[in-house]
Amino acid sequence: MKLTLDWLKDFVDVPVTDPAHLVDVFESLGLEVEDWGRIEPTFSGVVVGKVLSVEPHPNADKVRLCTVDIGAGEPSQIVCGAWNFDAGAIVPVALPGAVLQGDFEIGRRTIRGVESNGMICSEEELGLGDDAAGIMVLDEDYPWATDHIGAEFSRLLPFPDAYYDLAITPNRPDCMSVYGVARELAAYYDVDLVEPRTDVTEVGPPSTASITITDPDACPRFVAREVRGLVARRSPHWMRRRLQLAGVRPISNIVDASNYAMLEVGHPTHAFDMDRLGDRIVVRHAAEGETITTLDGNQRTLEPSDIVVADATRPVAIAGIMGGADTEVHDGTSRVLIEAAYWNPPSILLTSKRLGLRSEASARFERGMDPNFCDRAADRVAHLLQELADGAVAPPLIDEYPKPIAERTVLFDVADVRRLLGIELNVAEVADLLRRLGFTVAGDGPLEVTVPTRRPDVTRPADLVEEVARLHGFDNIPDRVRTGTGGGLPTRERTLRKIRDVVVGAGYHEIATFSIIAESDLDALGLPDGNPVRDAVAVSNPLSEEERLLRTTLIPGLLRALAVNQSRQLKAIRLFEIGTVFMPGSGKLPEQPLRLGFVAGGQPAITWEGQGRTADVFDATGLWELLAAELGVPQPAVRAHRSPVFHPGRCAEVLAMGSPIGTVGEVHPAIAARFGLAGRVVAGEIDLDELLLERPPWRFVPPSTYPPVIIDLAFALDGDVPAAALTETVRRAGGPFLEELTVFDVFAGGNLGEGRKSIAVRLVFRAPDRTLTDDDVVPLRTAIVEAVERSLGGTLRGAP
Amino acid sequence: MEALQRLDQLESEAPDRIAAASDLENLARIEAETVGKRSPLLEIRRGLGSLPDEERREVGRRVNEVAQLLGSLIAQRRSILETAAMDEALRAEEVDVTLPGRRPPRGTRHLIDAIQQEVVDIFVSMGYTVATGPEAETEFYNFTALNIPYTHPSRLESDTFYLDYGEVPEGTLLRTHTSPMQARYMELHRPPVYIVVPGRVFRRDSDSTHTPSFHQIEGLAVDTDITFADLKGTLAHFARLFFGPDTKTKFIPHYFPFTEPSAEMHAYADGRWLELLGCGMVDPAVFGHVGYDPDQVTGFAFGMGIERLAMVRHGITDIRALYDPDLRILRQFR
Repeated sequence: MKLTLDWLKDFVDVPVTDPAHLVDVFESLGLEVEDWGRIEPTFSGVVVGKVLSVEPHPNADKVRLCTVDIGAGEPSQIVCGAWNFDAGAIVPVALPGAVLQGDFEIGRRTIRGVESNGMICSEEELGLGDDAAGIMVLDEDYPWATDHIGAEFSRLLPFPDAYYDLAITPNRPDCMSVYGVARELAAYYDVDLVEPRTDVTEVGPPSTASITITDPDACPRFVAREVRGLVARRSPHWMRRRLQLAGVRPISNIVDASNYAMLEVGHPTHAFDMDRLGDRIVVRHAAEGETITTLDGNQRTLEPSDIVVADATRPVAIAGIMGGADTEVHDGTSRVLIEAAYWNPPSILLTSKRLGLRSEASARFERGMDPNFCDRAADRVAHLLQELADGAVAPPLIDEYPKPIAERTVLFDVADVRRLLGIELNVAEVADLLRRLGFTVAGDGPLEVTVPTRRPDVTRPADLVEEVARLHGFDNIPDRVRTGTGGGLPTRERTLRKIRDVVVGAGYHEIATFSIIAESDLDALGLPDGNPVRDAVAVSNPLSEEERLLRTTLIPGLLRALAVNQSRQLKAIRLFEIGTVFMPGSGKLPEQPLRLGFVAGGQPAITWEGQGRTADVFDATGLWELLAAELGVPQPAVRAHRSPVFHPGRCAEVLAMGSPIGTVGEVHPAIAARFGLAGRVVAGEIDLDELLLERPPWRFVPPSTYPPVIIDLAFALDGDVPAAALTETVRRAGGPFLEELTVFDVFAGGNLGEGRKSIAVRLVFRAPDRTLTDDDVVPLRTAIVEAVERSLGGTLRGAP
Repeated sequence: MEALQRLDQLESEAPDRIAAASDLENLARIEAETVGKRSPLLEIRRGLGSLPDEERREVGRRVNEVAQLLGSLIAQRRSILETAAMDEALRAEEVDVTLPGRRPPRGTRHLIDAIQQEVVDIFVSMGYTVATGPEAETEFYNFTALNIPYTHPSRLESDTFYLDYGEVPEGTLLRTHTSPMQARYMELHRPPVYIVVPGRVFRRDSDSTHTPSFHQIEGLAVDTDITFADLKGTLAHFARLFFGPDTKTKFIPHYFPFTEPSAEMHAYADGRWLELLGCGMVDPAVFGHVGYDPDQVTGFAFGMGIERLAMVRHGITDIRALYDPDLRILRQFR
């Protein structure tokens, strides 16, 4: 909300000279200053003059010759091109030497053979408005200028002024006006608040308008005032200036009066052209399908939950939101009915939201105006129309108030101030702060605080504590560092940090991708209908029609990220993300497991030693093995797997404690191509929740100091026997002395025979307490060879 | 006395030969010919037995003398030649050490995570613990339990992502802040409560300063005697730990439905006042929803945007840079 210091001064005598100081004051009161600036005149050397005579120019038709009294000395002769004035007008005169718009200097000039000693100025030339058609005639805009012939014109204007753009929080509808903000300043400085002028002189026969309210809950109060004999004209400059600085375009005095009053006192009013409106006003619910064309020219279809102001035949306004075009005030309007009502806030919000129609009025009514200010709001407008539009205010003030809203009383124990703020204020100090804000305070045990109806936000002691804190000043509350009794970093967080460390240490860069993906992402993964990954929860109001599913997998986001890097010619790309995925569950909320996803791809990096290695499936399984080892995952395992996303022969399922918790491998080249990826792409996705559980600490094993016995065994096996089966069998048969098992050679073909392969393992045997002998190891070797033969059909190669 | 003459001759001739040995192989041959298997020394030693006693003693003494002398000269020469040989071998292995080293591969944590961890650690050091909650949340926990009225604009479909899930009226949505965890945590724990809640949140918004999802850290302290002074002191302390010991802060009144009084903390960082976080004393209505007695306990809550902290600290002007996976960006997150 924009307002000027000049306007504030109508209501509060601000005891500061530097407008910058007010910025801090506003802030301390909770009125955030989004922008502010000083307003200085953009001209100098301009004085108030009185036109003594106006003659035709001897040599020109379009300009006239004026004699102007500029206070001192002889009247000046000035040539002027404007025609909107006559002899006797009070005007601003730029004398020779005056500077306009910062750098335009006025000199003595000869115009068509006649000397001109300066310039009579328009608003536009003085930077005071956008009227360039004629010169400013001050006796219309500033009647008191008559008494200041020869004075510096800028002295008549509110210079130096300042504007402030305040962000009003939604709990403070009472501050959505100059008067409301002035009240806060008056409280802050503990000075008097000047009340807005609402005095009217009632003339003529009583108004014949009548008001009927069908739903007092929706409209507890409706005040109306008729004003007759209006003459539409331009509003005076001081009013137009304030409107413009507040961001409102001046239109004409009748329309401006209503806008001006709303900016000034906050309460929105609406003026109907009474010649286009029946006498009998009904405030009612709209009929199903009823229509109205609003001021903005749009036809709106209404529903019974909407409240309208209607006459006998049709709705003439959507209550509290926007008036109808039919009864709009226009240039020929001479008689208006001013409406100032109190509308139930939720009902305004509902209709405004449903129609997508917001206005300055609805923004105020939906937050809650003061029901007990309606009468003054109506008469503030009536007063302005009387002063500025020759309005004759008709008796009486029509006031339908079927559901009076009384002030609330809150019992307030002053001990709450200490309990919540940590400061000591006595009863008198607290009472004084509240009184300054306009609360009525009685009693001295618990205070009985009466809250004005303009403050819907204050209903409880905590709300009063806030008021006390605000006015006392947050800066005057001490700082105390408080330490807690919380339990430190939980296992889950510590383990997550470790996972990040491991994956980062393996060369992967962490990324953050969005949680909402497109159906086409799941299509691109080649997932058939019925695949559980396709069963995604949808967002009902997505930002784009395309991206509307909560991700069920991290893979598409990672593949896209990989593609971005590949398209930017980056090499050796390794990325990971730790994030939540979503899938339908049985409870109130979707299942939301936490996952680790990773991808690797792109051309390998080039170094002076040559080109690096392209990542493949073993980088994926290796990362899992590393993670499992670092986290101490019990029984980590890997087994061959099939998934439409992955290469049919290079995909693995990873298991912890016998349960599958993820899939890793090389992405199917056809799927990779759909993401614009070339070359081998490694990817994996692992559920983390199981891995984050609390585990007992690992136990120390002292290393044996005895020498090992090392034997190498190569087995010929059928090609489809997994290496994991061999190592598992060997390990089981090898017994407790088998300290280390390393696969050190794998090959197929040669003289092994069709479909056979060879896997060689190096076994390190060692006892904790003695040196092993052949007597120990030979039986183990025999047992291992027999076990491999028996359970895997493998034969020891090179055996005699 | 032929033997003694031969020894004299050996003693005078052999040292020059040893000194002239050009390499270890050559030296080995000279060793063999002077003191080794094929040397006059060995021959004379073998013939000692056939010499008369007196002469045998004399020749024996000379044999040992010469053997010792030549042995030590050979050892000396060998040592020199060995050193030279190793020097030469090492010289052959010389490389340009200014060629790029073989750097072990290492990735980077995302800046969002790094900042989040830093903030968490500051509060953990002050006696807080960490709690996390669901990203898909019920309307109840996201709004109602936090005293956000049904008419509040943040509930509008224009601001909040709602889900096609669950049953009306218990709507589900993507949480708009980390605050729902306040209610969830208090429902499950009795006071005192000192927690921070990091996590991803969602708003229906997208431009250079807003992404549809971003990250927040929520904080909640509830105890029998928490005041606004504790809130101010604790959060000002946080700002000093995060931005530096001289960081100035100011608290200005604000409005949140779930705190009363409410404030915004601004910090003077990066050469200007920045709105850093929202905070306030826990609203009695929030305590009411979780069964805490607002006459027995008081508390404060705060929430701050992680991306904003990251952007201020590192001079990032477009939030979307934090969601760009370009390696040239990620590598800067160190």
